[in-house]
Amino acid sequence: MGPKRIVVVGNGIAGLTASDSLRAAGFDGELTIVGDEHHAPYSRPALSKAALLDSEDMTSHQLPAATHEAHEILGVGAARLDAGKKVLHLDDGTGLPFDGLVIATGSRARRLGAAGNPGNYDGELTLRTLEDALALRRRLAGQPSVVVIGGGALGMEIASGCLAVGCEVTLVSQELPLTNQLGPYLSGVFLAAAVRHGLKLAPSSAAQLRSTGGGPAGGRTVVTLADGSSLEAELVVSAVGDVPNTEWLASSGLLTGGRLEVDTRGRVRPDIIAAGDVAAFPTARGIQRVPLWTSAIEQSKAAALALLGGDGAPALDFKPYFWTEQFGLSLKASGFLPLAGAPDYLDGDPHDGPSLMRWSHREGSGTAVAINKRIPIPKLRRLSEAAPEVASPAA
Amino acid sequence: MKIVLDRPRCEGHGLCEEAAPQLMHLDDDGELVLDIETVDDVLLEPAKAAVRVCPVAALRLA
Ligand SMILES: Cc1cc2nc3c(=O)[nH]c(=O)nc-3n(C[C@H](O)[C@H](O)[C@H](O)COP(=O)(O)OP(=O)(O)OC[C@H]3O[C@@H](n4cnc5c(N)ncnc54)[C@H](O)[C@@H]3O)c2cc1C
Ligand code: SF4
Repeated sequence: MGPKRIVVVGNGIAGLTASDSLRAAGFDGELTIVGDEHHAPYSRPALSKAALLDSEDMTSHQLPAATHEAHEILGVGAARLDAGKKVLHLDDGTGLPFDGLVIATGSRARRLGAAGNPGNYDGELTLRTLEDALALRRRLAGQPSVVVIGGGALGMEIASGCLAVGCEVTLVSQELPLTNQLGPYLSGVFLAAAVRHGLKLAPSSAAQLRSTGGGPAGGRTVVTLADGSSLEAELVVSAVGDVPNTEWLASSGLLTGGRLEVDTRGRVRPDIIAAGDVAAFPTARGIQRVPLWTSAIEQSKAAALALLGGDGAPALDFKPYFWTEQFGLSLKASGFLPLAGAPDYLDGDPHDGPSLMRWSHREGSGTAVAINKRIPIPKLRRLSEAAPEVASPAA
Repeated sequence: MKIVLDRPRCEGHGLCEEAAPQLMHLDDDGELVLDIETVDDVLLEPAKAAVRVCPVAALRLA
Protein backbone atom coordinates (compact mmCIF):
# COMPACT_ATOMS: atom_id res chain seq x y z
CA MET A 1 0.00 0.00 0.00
CA GLY A 2 1.35 3.39 -0.90
CA PRO A 3 1.29 6.41 1.39
CA LYS A 4 -2.00 8.17 2.16
CA ARG A 5 -0.61 11.36 3.65
CA ILE A 6 2.42 13.01 2.09
CA VAL A 7 4.11 16.11 3.46
CA VAL A 8 6.51 18.10 1.27
CA VAL A 9 9.01 20.36 3.06
CA GLY A 10 10.26 23.22 0.91
CA ASN A 11 8.33 25.18 -1.69
CA GLY A 12 11.01 25.68 -4.35
CA ILE A 13 11.21 24.03 -7.76
CA ALA A 14 12.08 20.68 -6.16
CA GLY A 15 9.08 20.69 -3.82
CA LEU A 16 6.82 21.90 -6.61
CA THR A 17 8.05 19.30 -9.12
CA ALA A 18 7.78 16.51 -6.57
CA SER A 19 4.20 17.55 -5.79
CA ASP A 20 3.26 17.74 -9.47
CA SER A 21 4.92 14.38 -10.14
CA LEU A 22 3.12 12.69 -7.24
CA ARG A 23 -0.21 13.87 -8.64
CA ALA A 24 0.74 12.95 -12.20
CA ALA A 25 1.59 9.44 -11.00
CA GLY A 26 -1.88 9.10 -9.53
CA PHE A 27 -1.41 10.02 -5.88
CA ASP A 28 -4.79 11.31 -4.77
CA GLY A 29 -4.26 11.29 -1.00
CA GLU A 30 -3.63 14.21 1.30
CA LEU A 31 -0.78 16.40 0.09
CA THR A 32 0.62 19.19 2.28
CA ILE A 33 3.44 21.57 1.37
CA VAL A 34 5.31 23.46 4.07
CA GLY A 35 7.49 26.35 2.88
CA ASP A 36 9.12 29.11 4.86
CA GLU A 37 8.98 31.58 1.97
CA HIS A 38 5.71 33.44 1.60
CA HIS A 39 5.67 33.22 -2.19
CA ALA A 40 4.59 30.70 -4.73
CA PRO A 41 7.67 28.99 -6.21
CA TYR A 42 9.66 31.14 -8.62
CA SER A 43 12.63 30.75 -10.91
CA ARG A 44 15.87 31.43 -9.05
CA PRO A 45 18.01 31.26 -12.21
CA ALA A 46 16.11 34.29 -13.52
CA LEU A 47 17.07 36.33 -10.45
CA SER A 48 20.67 36.79 -11.55
CA LYS A 49 19.84 37.18 -15.25
CA ALA A 50 16.80 38.86 -16.81
CA ALA A 51 15.33 39.88 -13.43
CA LEU A 52 18.24 42.22 -12.70
CA LEU A 53 17.53 43.99 -15.99
CA ASP A 54 13.71 43.93 -16.07
CA SER A 55 12.48 47.47 -16.36
CA GLU A 56 9.79 48.67 -13.92
CA ASP A 57 8.19 45.47 -12.66
CA MET A 58 10.25 42.40 -12.15
CA THR A 59 8.45 39.50 -13.85
CA SER A 60 11.14 37.26 -15.32
CA HIS A 61 11.16 34.99 -12.29
CA GLN A 62 7.46 34.19 -12.27
CA LEU A 63 6.38 30.63 -12.89
CA PRO A 64 2.93 29.48 -13.97
CA ALA A 65 0.51 28.70 -11.14
CA ALA A 66 0.71 25.25 -9.59
CA THR A 67 -1.96 22.67 -10.32
CA HIS A 68 -1.26 20.04 -7.64
CA GLU A 69 -4.01 21.33 -5.33
CA ALA A 70 -1.98 20.65 -2.23
CA HIS A 71 -2.72 22.19 1.12
CA GLU A 72 -0.04 24.87 1.41
CA ILE A 73 1.38 26.12 4.69
CA LEU A 74 3.56 29.07 3.69
CA GLY A 75 5.65 31.40 5.79
CA VAL A 76 6.21 28.62 8.33
CA GLY A 77 9.38 26.56 8.60
CA ALA A 78 9.97 22.95 9.55
CA ALA A 79 11.77 22.99 12.89
CA ARG A 80 12.41 19.32 13.61
CA LEU A 81 11.70 15.88 12.23
CA ASP A 82 10.78 12.91 14.37
CA ALA A 83 11.56 10.24 11.81
CA GLY A 84 10.69 7.38 14.19
CA LYS A 85 7.18 8.62 15.02
CA LYS A 86 6.79 10.08 11.51
CA VAL A 87 5.87 13.54 12.66
CA LEU A 88 7.14 16.83 11.27
CA HIS A 89 7.29 19.65 13.82
CA LEU A 90 6.85 23.19 12.55
CA ASP A 91 8.16 26.51 13.88
CA ASP A 92 4.71 27.46 15.13
CA GLY A 93 4.44 24.34 17.28
CA THR A 94 2.19 22.34 14.93
CA GLY A 95 2.95 18.65 14.44
CA LEU A 96 2.18 17.12 11.05
CA PRO A 97 1.96 13.33 10.92
CA PHE A 98 2.83 11.73 7.58
CA ASP A 99 3.39 8.37 5.95
CA GLY A 100 5.45 9.83 3.12
CA LEU A 101 7.86 12.77 3.40
CA VAL A 102 9.56 14.84 0.71
CA ILE A 103 12.61 16.82 1.83
CA ALA A 104 13.18 19.73 -0.54
CA THR A 105 14.54 22.53 1.63
CA GLY A 106 17.20 23.57 -0.86
CA SER A 107 20.18 25.62 0.20
CA ARG A 108 21.00 29.19 1.12
CA ALA A 109 23.78 31.58 0.25
CA ARG A 110 27.01 31.16 2.16
CA ARG A 111 28.07 34.46 3.69
CA LEU A 112 31.53 35.79 4.38
CA GLY A 113 30.51 38.01 7.25
CA ALA A 114 32.51 40.56 9.13
CA ALA A 115 35.82 40.14 10.85
CA GLY A 116 35.21 38.29 14.10
CA ASN A 117 31.58 37.78 13.18
CA PRO A 118 31.50 35.19 10.45
CA GLY A 119 28.29 34.85 8.51
CA ASN A 120 26.92 38.16 9.70
CA TYR A 121 27.56 41.55 8.19
CA ASP A 122 24.73 43.85 7.18
CA GLY A 123 26.53 45.41 4.26
CA GLU A 124 27.05 42.08 2.49
CA LEU A 125 24.35 41.38 -0.05
CA THR A 126 23.82 37.86 -1.36
CA LEU A 127 21.46 36.68 -4.08
CA ARG A 128 19.31 33.67 -3.36
CA THR A 129 15.75 34.80 -2.73
CA LEU A 130 13.22 37.08 -4.34
CA GLU A 131 13.75 39.57 -1.50
CA ASP A 132 17.50 39.50 -2.20
CA ALA A 133 16.84 40.28 -5.86
CA LEU A 134 14.48 43.14 -5.05
CA ALA A 135 16.99 44.58 -2.59
CA LEU A 136 19.79 44.31 -5.13
CA ARG A 137 17.67 46.00 -7.82
CA ARG A 138 16.86 48.84 -5.43
CA ARG A 139 20.52 49.38 -4.66
CA LEU A 140 21.57 49.14 -8.31
CA ALA A 141 19.12 51.88 -9.27
CA GLY A 142 21.55 54.37 -7.71
CA GLN A 143 24.43 53.00 -9.84
CA PRO A 144 26.77 52.44 -6.89
CA SER A 145 30.34 51.25 -7.23
CA VAL A 146 30.23 47.48 -6.77
CA VAL A 147 32.57 44.77 -5.57
CA VAL A 148 31.39 41.25 -6.35
CA ILE A 149 33.11 38.51 -4.39
CA GLY A 150 33.26 35.08 -6.01
CA GLY A 151 34.21 34.10 -9.54
CA GLY A 152 31.68 31.31 -10.01
CA ALA A 153 28.80 31.44 -12.47
CA LEU A 154 26.60 33.35 -10.04
CA GLY A 155 29.24 35.96 -9.17
CA MET A 156 29.97 36.50 -12.84
CA GLU A 157 26.27 36.83 -13.72
CA ILE A 158 25.81 39.39 -10.96
CA ALA A 159 28.88 41.30 -12.13
CA SER A 160 27.54 41.26 -15.66
CA GLY A 161 24.13 42.56 -14.53
CA CYS A 162 25.72 45.34 -12.46
CA LEU A 163 27.84 46.44 -15.41
CA ALA A 164 24.80 46.39 -17.67
CA VAL A 165 22.98 48.89 -15.47
CA GLY A 166 25.97 51.21 -15.56
CA CYS A 167 27.90 50.43 -12.37
CA GLU A 168 31.63 50.24 -12.04
CA VAL A 169 32.36 46.65 -11.03
CA THR A 170 35.35 44.85 -9.56
CA LEU A 171 35.27 41.08 -9.22
CA VAL A 172 37.26 39.46 -6.43
CA SER A 173 38.11 35.88 -7.25
CA GLN A 174 40.82 33.58 -6.01
CA GLU A 175 40.92 31.45 -9.16
CA LEU A 176 40.48 32.78 -12.64
CA PRO A 177 36.70 33.25 -12.86
CA LEU A 178 34.73 30.15 -13.88
CA THR A 179 37.80 27.89 -13.89
CA ASN A 180 36.35 25.64 -11.22
CA GLN A 181 32.96 25.49 -12.92
CA LEU A 182 33.86 25.31 -16.60
CA GLY A 183 37.60 24.69 -16.86
CA PRO A 184 40.42 26.91 -18.13
CA TYR A 185 39.44 27.03 -21.80
CA LEU A 186 35.92 28.38 -21.32
CA SER A 187 37.11 30.53 -18.44
CA GLY A 188 39.32 32.28 -20.97
CA VAL A 189 36.41 32.80 -23.34
CA PHE A 190 34.23 34.37 -20.64
CA LEU A 191 37.02 36.40 -19.14
CA ALA A 192 37.79 38.00 -22.49
CA ALA A 193 34.14 38.98 -22.87
CA ALA A 194 33.97 40.25 -19.29
CA VAL A 195 37.01 42.46 -19.70
CA ARG A 196 35.58 43.80 -22.97
CA HIS A 197 32.47 44.78 -21.02
CA GLY A 198 34.59 46.69 -18.52
CA LEU A 199 34.92 44.23 -15.63
CA LYS A 200 37.89 44.84 -13.35
CA LEU A 201 39.49 41.87 -11.69
CA ALA A 202 41.06 41.55 -8.28
CA PRO A 203 42.72 38.14 -8.30
CA SER A 204 42.64 37.31 -4.63
CA SER A 205 40.51 35.74 -1.99
CA ALA A 206 38.51 38.22 0.03
CA ALA A 207 39.41 37.97 3.65
CA GLN A 208 37.30 40.42 5.57
CA LEU A 209 34.49 42.92 5.27
CA ARG A 210 33.97 46.01 7.37
CA SER A 211 32.17 49.28 6.92
CA THR A 212 33.52 52.77 6.99
CA GLY A 213 31.51 55.27 9.04
CA GLY A 214 27.84 55.87 8.41
CA GLY A 215 26.69 52.29 8.97
CA PRO A 216 26.76 49.53 6.40
CA ALA A 217 23.81 50.85 4.42
CA GLY A 218 24.88 54.47 4.24
CA GLY A 219 28.65 54.17 4.24
CA ARG A 220 31.03 52.19 2.12
CA THR A 221 32.31 48.72 2.67
CA VAL A 222 35.97 47.90 2.84
CA VAL A 223 36.98 44.51 1.52
CA THR A 224 40.35 43.39 2.81
CA LEU A 225 42.08 41.01 0.45
CA ALA A 226 44.35 38.10 1.28
CA ASP A 227 47.52 40.08 0.49
CA GLY A 228 46.50 42.79 2.94
CA SER A 229 45.45 45.33 0.32
CA SER A 230 41.87 46.53 0.28
CA LEU A 231 39.05 47.62 -1.98
CA GLU A 232 36.24 49.98 -1.18
CA ALA A 233 32.80 50.06 -2.71
CA GLU A 234 29.33 51.38 -2.07
CA LEU A 235 27.88 47.93 -2.61
CA VAL A 236 29.37 44.52 -1.89
CA VAL A 237 27.68 41.40 -3.20
CA SER A 238 29.11 38.00 -2.38
CA ALA A 239 28.48 34.79 -4.28
CA VAL A 240 30.67 32.31 -2.50
CA GLY A 241 28.71 29.12 -2.64
CA ASP A 242 25.64 27.66 -0.99
CA VAL A 243 24.94 25.77 2.22
CA PRO A 244 22.27 23.03 2.26
CA ASN A 245 19.35 23.68 4.63
CA THR A 246 19.68 20.61 6.82
CA GLU A 247 19.71 22.13 10.33
CA TRP A 248 16.12 21.06 10.97
CA LEU A 249 17.20 17.47 10.34
CA ALA A 250 20.03 17.55 12.90
CA SER A 251 18.25 15.29 15.40
CA SER A 252 16.42 13.18 12.80
CA GLY A 253 19.11 10.53 12.45
CA LEU A 254 18.89 10.91 8.68
CA LEU A 255 22.15 12.79 8.12
CA THR A 256 25.39 10.99 7.26
CA GLY A 257 28.38 13.05 8.35
CA GLY A 258 26.21 16.15 8.15
CA ARG A 259 25.01 15.35 4.62
CA LEU A 260 21.61 14.22 3.46
CA GLU A 261 22.41 11.28 1.19
CA VAL A 262 19.89 9.51 -0.99
CA ASP A 263 19.96 6.38 -3.15
CA THR A 264 19.62 6.26 -6.94
CA ARG A 265 15.86 6.75 -6.52
CA GLY A 266 16.14 9.77 -4.25
CA ARG A 267 15.29 7.82 -1.10
CA VAL A 268 16.73 8.43 2.35
CA ARG A 269 14.62 5.45 3.40
CA PRO A 270 11.55 3.93 1.74
CA ASP A 271 9.07 6.50 3.09
CA ILE A 272 11.35 9.57 2.99
CA ILE A 273 12.74 11.08 -0.19
CA ALA A 274 14.91 14.13 -0.77
CA ALA A 275 15.59 16.14 -3.92
CA GLY A 276 17.09 19.39 -5.15
CA ASP A 277 19.90 21.47 -3.72
CA VAL A 278 19.58 19.88 -0.26
CA ALA A 279 20.31 16.31 -1.40
CA ALA A 280 23.54 14.50 -2.19
CA PHE A 281 22.84 11.76 -4.71
CA PRO A 282 24.85 9.13 -6.62
CA THR A 283 26.23 10.43 -9.92
CA ALA A 284 28.82 9.02 -12.31
CA ARG A 285 31.29 11.14 -10.33
CA GLY A 286 30.33 9.96 -6.84
CA ILE A 287 27.73 11.00 -4.28
CA GLN A 288 27.41 14.75 -4.48
CA ARG A 289 25.05 17.66 -4.45
CA VAL A 290 24.41 19.14 -7.89
CA PRO A 291 22.68 22.40 -6.98
CA LEU A 292 21.26 23.23 -10.41
CA TRP A 293 17.81 23.77 -11.89
CA THR A 294 17.40 20.72 -14.14
CA SER A 295 19.14 18.57 -11.55
CA ALA A 296 16.48 19.58 -9.01
CA ILE A 297 13.70 18.81 -11.49
CA GLU A 298 15.07 15.43 -12.56
CA GLN A 299 15.78 14.34 -9.00
CA SER A 300 12.30 15.35 -7.86
CA LYS A 301 10.57 13.42 -10.62
CA ALA A 302 12.51 10.23 -9.96
CA ALA A 303 12.15 10.49 -6.19
CA ALA A 304 8.39 11.11 -6.33
CA LEU A 305 7.90 7.94 -8.37
CA ALA A 306 10.01 5.95 -5.90
CA LEU A 307 7.99 7.24 -2.95
CA LEU A 308 4.91 5.73 -4.58
CA GLY A 309 6.38 2.77 -6.45
CA GLY A 310 9.45 1.74 -4.45
CA ASP A 311 12.07 -0.36 -6.21
CA GLY A 312 9.77 -0.74 -9.20
CA ALA A 313 10.27 2.94 -10.04
CA PRO A 314 13.03 3.81 -12.53
CA ALA A 315 16.35 4.94 -11.06
CA LEU A 316 17.53 8.46 -11.78
CA ASP A 317 19.48 8.61 -15.00
CA PHE A 318 21.24 11.88 -14.22
CA LYS A 319 22.53 13.86 -17.18
CA PRO A 320 24.09 17.15 -16.18
CA TYR A 321 22.81 20.25 -17.94
CA PHE A 322 24.09 23.74 -17.20
CA TRP A 323 23.56 27.15 -18.69
CA THR A 324 24.67 30.68 -17.96
CA GLU A 325 24.17 34.10 -19.51
CA GLN A 326 26.66 36.88 -18.95
CA PHE A 327 28.64 39.55 -20.76
CA GLY A 328 26.74 38.95 -23.99
CA LEU A 329 27.50 35.22 -23.98
CA SER A 330 24.87 32.54 -23.56
CA LEU A 331 26.28 29.11 -22.81
CA LYS A 332 24.57 25.73 -22.67
CA ALA A 333 26.46 22.62 -21.64
CA SER A 334 25.38 19.01 -21.64
CA GLY A 335 27.67 16.65 -19.73
CA PHE A 336 30.02 16.85 -16.81
CA LEU A 337 31.97 20.01 -16.02
CA PRO A 338 34.66 21.43 -15.62
CA LEU A 339 36.48 20.64 -18.84
CA ALA A 340 40.18 19.98 -19.19
CA GLY A 341 42.11 21.04 -22.27
CA ALA A 342 40.84 22.44 -25.55
CA PRO A 343 37.72 21.26 -27.37
CA ASP A 344 37.00 19.79 -30.75
CA TYR A 345 35.27 22.53 -32.70
CA LEU A 346 32.09 21.31 -34.31
CA ASP A 347 31.08 24.72 -35.53
CA GLY A 348 32.43 28.27 -35.20
CA ASP A 349 34.91 29.79 -32.75
CA PRO A 350 33.68 30.89 -29.31
CA HIS A 351 35.89 34.00 -29.36
CA ASP A 352 34.15 35.10 -32.50
CA GLY A 353 30.42 34.45 -32.79
CA PRO A 354 28.26 31.37 -32.29
CA SER A 355 30.03 28.09 -31.68
CA LEU A 356 29.53 24.47 -30.86
CA MET A 357 32.25 22.45 -29.13
CA ARG A 358 32.80 19.03 -27.67
CA TRP A 359 35.17 17.64 -25.09
CA SER A 360 35.76 13.88 -24.83
CA HIS A 361 36.07 12.23 -21.44
CA ARG A 362 37.97 9.07 -20.70
CA GLU A 363 34.84 6.93 -20.25
CA GLY A 364 33.88 7.62 -23.86
CA SER A 365 31.15 10.08 -23.01
CA GLY A 366 31.69 13.76 -23.53
CA THR A 367 30.44 17.25 -22.88
CA ALA A 368 28.91 19.36 -25.62
CA VAL A 369 28.89 23.14 -25.24
CA ALA A 370 27.05 25.72 -27.33
CA ILE A 371 27.82 29.41 -27.01
CA ASN A 372 25.46 32.03 -28.47
CA LYS A 373 23.93 29.30 -30.55
CA ARG A 374 20.34 28.19 -30.22
CA ILE A 375 20.30 24.43 -30.29
CA PRO A 376 17.70 21.96 -29.06
CA ILE A 377 18.85 20.34 -25.85
CA PRO A 378 18.10 16.82 -27.06
CA LYS A 379 20.52 17.50 -29.90
CA LEU A 380 23.15 18.89 -27.53
CA ARG A 381 22.72 15.78 -25.40
CA ARG A 382 23.19 13.51 -28.39
CA LEU A 383 26.36 15.36 -29.28
CA SER A 384 27.69 14.97 -25.75
CA GLU A 385 26.95 11.27 -25.58
CA ALA A 386 28.80 10.00 -28.63
CA ALA A 387 31.47 11.59 -30.76
CA PRO A 388 29.72 12.79 -33.91
CA GLU A 389 30.69 10.90 -37.04
CA VAL A 390 29.99 13.77 -39.37
CA ALA A 391 30.29 17.22 -37.87
CA SER A 392 27.95 18.74 -40.40
CA PRO A 393 26.25 21.83 -38.98
CA ALA A 394 23.01 20.83 -40.64
CA ALA A 395 22.97 17.39 -38.97
CA MET B 1 -6.36 23.80 -22.59
CA LYS B 2 -4.03 25.76 -24.78
CA ILE B 3 -0.28 26.15 -24.57
CA VAL B 4 0.69 29.79 -24.92
CA LEU B 5 4.21 30.88 -25.79
CA ASP B 6 5.48 34.30 -24.83
CA ARG B 7 7.96 34.45 -27.67
CA PRO B 8 10.08 37.45 -26.62
CA ARG B 9 10.74 35.68 -23.32
CA CYS B 10 11.81 32.38 -24.83
CA GLU B 11 15.56 31.99 -24.72
CA GLY B 12 15.64 28.83 -26.74
CA HIS B 13 16.83 26.64 -23.91
CA GLY B 14 14.76 23.82 -25.29
CA LEU B 15 14.17 22.26 -21.90
CA CYS B 16 10.48 22.21 -22.80
CA GLU B 17 11.17 20.18 -25.92
CA GLU B 18 13.04 17.68 -23.85
CA ALA B 19 10.06 17.37 -21.50
CA ALA B 20 7.42 17.14 -24.24
CA PRO B 21 8.92 16.37 -27.66
CA GLN B 22 5.46 15.35 -28.88
CA LEU B 23 4.22 18.93 -28.41
CA MET B 24 7.04 21.26 -29.42
CA HIS B 25 10.47 21.52 -30.97
CA LEU B 26 13.17 24.05 -31.68
CA ASP B 27 13.60 24.55 -35.40
CA ASP B 28 16.93 24.88 -37.16
CA ASP B 29 17.15 28.54 -36.19
CA GLY B 30 16.51 27.69 -32.57
CA GLU B 31 13.01 29.15 -32.63
CA LEU B 32 10.49 27.23 -30.60
CA VAL B 33 7.64 25.77 -32.63
CA LEU B 34 4.48 24.56 -30.92
CA ASP B 35 3.45 21.53 -32.95
CA ILE B 36 0.32 21.06 -30.90
CA GLU B 37 -1.24 24.02 -29.13
CA THR B 38 -4.54 22.68 -27.88
CA VAL B 39 -4.02 19.79 -25.51
CA ASP B 40 -6.54 17.17 -24.47
CA ASP B 41 -6.46 15.09 -21.28
CA VAL B 42 -3.83 12.72 -22.63
CA LEU B 43 -1.43 15.51 -23.55
CA LEU B 44 -2.10 17.63 -20.49
CA GLU B 45 0.58 16.00 -18.33
CA PRO B 46 3.42 16.43 -20.84
CA ALA B 47 2.20 19.97 -21.47
CA LYS B 48 2.35 20.73 -17.76
CA ALA B 49 5.82 19.21 -17.55
CA ALA B 50 7.03 21.39 -20.40
CA VAL B 51 5.55 24.54 -18.91
CA ARG B 52 7.08 23.76 -15.54
CA VAL B 53 10.61 23.11 -16.68
CA CYS B 54 11.04 26.42 -18.52
CA PRO B 55 13.27 28.53 -16.28
CA VAL B 56 12.07 31.80 -17.75
CA ALA B 57 8.35 31.00 -17.70
CA ALA B 58 7.95 31.59 -21.41
CA LEU B 59 5.21 28.99 -21.56
CA ARG B 60 1.87 28.86 -19.84
CA LEU B 61 -1.38 26.95 -20.03
CA ALA B 62 -4.55 28.91 -20.55
C1 LIG C 1 20.61 33.65 -8.29
C2 LIG C 1 20.66 32.22 -8.71
C3 LIG C 1 20.92 31.89 -10.03
C4 LIG C 1 20.94 30.57 -10.46
N1 LIG C 1 21.18 30.29 -11.77
C5 LIG C 1 21.16 29.02 -12.21
C6 LIG C 1 21.38 28.69 -13.58
O1 LIG C 1 21.63 29.57 -14.40
N2 LIG C 1 21.30 27.40 -13.97
C7 LIG C 1 21.03 26.42 -13.08
O2 LIG C 1 20.94 25.26 -13.49
N3 LIG C 1 20.82 26.66 -11.78
C8 LIG C 1 20.90 27.95 -11.31
N4 LIG C 1 20.68 28.21 -9.98
C9 LIG C 1 20.41 27.09 -9.06
C10 LIG C 1 18.92 26.70 -9.04
O3 LIG C 1 18.15 27.85 -8.93
C11 LIG C 1 18.68 25.76 -7.87
O4 LIG C 1 19.41 24.58 -8.12
C12 LIG C 1 17.22 25.40 -7.67
O5 LIG C 1 16.44 26.54 -7.51
C13 LIG C 1 17.08 24.47 -6.46
O6 LIG C 1 15.76 24.25 -6.15
P1 LIG C 1 15.35 23.59 -4.75
O7 LIG C 1 13.88 23.50 -4.80
O8 LIG C 1 16.16 22.39 -4.48
O9 LIG C 1 15.82 24.63 -3.62
P2 LIG C 1 15.25 26.09 -3.27
O10 LIG C 1 14.85 26.78 -4.51
O11 LIG C 1 16.27 26.67 -2.40
O12 LIG C 1 13.93 25.78 -2.47
C14 LIG C 1 13.91 25.35 -1.15
C15 LIG C 1 12.78 26.03 -0.42
O13 LIG C 1 12.67 25.48 0.88
C16 LIG C 1 12.55 26.52 1.83
N5 LIG C 1 13.02 26.04 3.13
C17 LIG C 1 14.29 25.95 3.58
N6 LIG C 1 14.34 25.46 4.83
C18 LIG C 1 13.05 25.24 5.19
C19 LIG C 1 12.44 24.73 6.37
N7 LIG C 1 13.15 24.32 7.42
N8 LIG C 1 11.09 24.65 6.39
C20 LIG C 1 10.34 25.04 5.31
N9 LIG C 1 10.88 25.50 4.18
C21 LIG C 1 12.21 25.61 4.12
C22 LIG C 1 13.38 27.63 1.24
O14 LIG C 1 13.05 28.88 1.80
C23 LIG C 1 13.01 27.53 -0.22
O15 LIG C 1 11.83 28.21 -0.52
C24 LIG C 1 20.69 29.53 -9.52
C25 LIG C 1 20.46 29.84 -8.17
C26 LIG C 1 20.44 31.17 -7.76
C27 LIG C 1 20.18 31.49 -6.30
S1 SF4 D 1 12.23 25.95 -22.04
FE1 SF4 D 1 11.39 28.02 -22.11
S2 SF4 D 1 13.03 29.30 -22.88
FE2 SF4 D 1 13.52 27.21 -23.32
S3 SF4 D 1 12.78 26.86 -25.42
FE3 SF4 D 1 11.21 26.17 -24.01
S4 SF4 D 1 9.93 27.97 -23.78
FE4 SF4 D 1 11.82 28.72 -24.65
